[in-house]
Amino acid sequence: MSRSAPPGNAEPQLGPVSSAPASSAPASPSPASASLPPAPPGPGPASLPPGPPSPPAQPPPPPRINVFTVTLAAFALGAIASWPALRGSGRDLDTWGNLTRFVGHFFPPDWSVWRETLHALGETFQIAILATVFATILSLPLAALGARTLAPTWVVAPARLLMNFARTVPSLVWALFGVAIVGANPLAGVVALTLYSLGYLGKFFSDAFESVDAEVARGLSALGANRVQAFQYGLWPHAKPLIASHVLWMLEYNLRAASIIGYVGAGGLGAQLAAYYEYFAWDKVATVLIFILALVTLLDLLGEWVRRRITASLGVRR
Amino acid sequence: MSPAAALSRPAASSSAAPLPALRGEPHLELRGLGLRRGDRWLVRGLDLVVPRGAFVAVVGPSGVGKSSFLSAIAGLLAPAEGEIVCRCAHGHAHHPAEPELQCRTGIIFQQNLLTPNVSVLTNTLAGRLGRHSAWRTLFGFPRADREAAYRILCDLGLGAHVHRWSCQTSGGEQQRTAIARALLQEPELYLADEPVSALDAYLTGRVLGLLRQEAREHGRTVLCVLHNAELVDRFADLVLSFDPGDATNWKVREVRK
Repeated sequence: MSRSAPPGNAEPQLGPVSSAPASSAPASPSPASASLPPAPPGPGPASLPPGPPSPPAQPPPPPRINVFTVTLAAFALGAIASWPALRGSGRDLDTWGNLTRFVGHFFPPDWSVWRETLHALGETFQIAILATVFATILSLPLAALGARTLAPTWVVAPARLLMNFARTVPSLVWALFGVAIVGANPLAGVVALTLYSLGYLGKFFSDAFESVDAEVARGLSALGANRVQAFQYGLWPHAKPLIASHVLWMLEYNLRAASIIGYVGAGGLGAQLAAYYEYFAWDKVATVLIFILALVTLLDLLGEWVRRRITASLGVRR
Repeated sequence: MSPAAALSRPAASSSAAPLPALRGEPHLELRGLGLRRGDRWLVRGLDLVVPRGAFVAVVGPSGVGKSSFLSAIAGLLAPAEGEIVCRCAHGHAHHPAEPELQCRTGIIFQQNLLTPNVSVLTNTLAGRLGRHSAWRTLFGFPRADREAAYRILCDLGLGAHVHRWSCQTSGGEQQRTAIARALLQEPELYLADEPVSALDAYLTGRVLGLLRQEAREHGRTVLCVLHNAELVDRFADLVLSFDPGDATNWKVREVRK
């Protein structure tokens, strides 16, 4: 705790302020009672001390150029510059016909594969949940190192770089790493998604630690708490709801990711999906997609419910 | 030197005798203390020896630097000039930012600084963090601490709310939780920044009475920012007042009972 704002209110003074910083005049000749009064509300207007010059009738307009407007303008310019991407191939294709024909292949879904789909779905869920648990445990210390309010800059920079790297590499590429390290099995998926989630959760947790009010933790340090105690009792409770919410989001994300990484052999639904895709068995792909959709929806509803409970309990905040 | 400055020095050689309330074992020594906010001096040349067990009311209009003064004593704000020396019970002199002194300084912050989604009881127990290692407090506090905290909370009328989150309690209850945290700490020095701003007349009397009792019976010095002149006269031994117009024109007077 290198420095901290004084707990005092920083409101500007209302009374007549001495313009120069108190000069070192050797003596104040006036007795104590004759010094400047603290501007009590006088009974009549005549006794009021001279206030600041009367303000104009209208408040000054807020500045037009701020971070928000600049970002908005940058986005608009970016969108205009990106217009050529909408050109497509330039050939005259039967777009609508293509769409209906392709979607038509998915229906009706071939439910006969439900047994193996359910099995693969279970495996996907296992991969997702283990990766989320491991990533949460590993990213908490990493996030503390990456939070500017908790760690010195020379630690924050490499920690953040590491997390950025983990996030930059797509999950499918992490899955390739996983398969290369431990072979083509669900463990590869767990390893891959743990590493990938580490980047996300580390960043989210760092931001959570930075965003919560550190004033309480500083206050506890001033009462004699050491760093760990100030974190545990002053900062962690603030950050906990945010962190729980991020973990739920990560689980949801990992579930979706775990159903894709099987493409490169890292277990779960992906392998099945790849096989069906290989043989253009779109009706079977449809079944798999419906199963994923059901699981993700279920998890989304559950996560939403838990999140609402968490935020509702904080909603009564002052 | 202003006449008030001469008066505040116990060993002043001038004709002004030291105030009776300033006699006694010195606890807090301020030597030529100067504090500034930005380019404005809040207080300058403050020489004061506060004896152990004194109840000092710090008064002055809003923005005059009362909170900054307490922050400096707490070691949260470095003085621009001069020094602060705090003598702990076994005679060692410390400067405010030293950790061993921080456990012995109980602060009631103006904004309470409670953890919102933690129980009133745990918020109170945080006052004892300085006594234990991080390992000891990792999974909670010793039973003796919890019982002491519960007694204090009951004393302050919070016995029914111990397991509520502090954000679910009212402003006055939060302020009392912050006071309970400081009381549980059993510090040698209390720094109370407007500790009764959210309390009704009865609780105000009760809280200030408790602080007064701490000062009288346990020799724990109290520095308390107060706005109400009646309360100052009723509870304080000494009054330290700051002048918004002149940073050097601080004054110390004794309250005649």
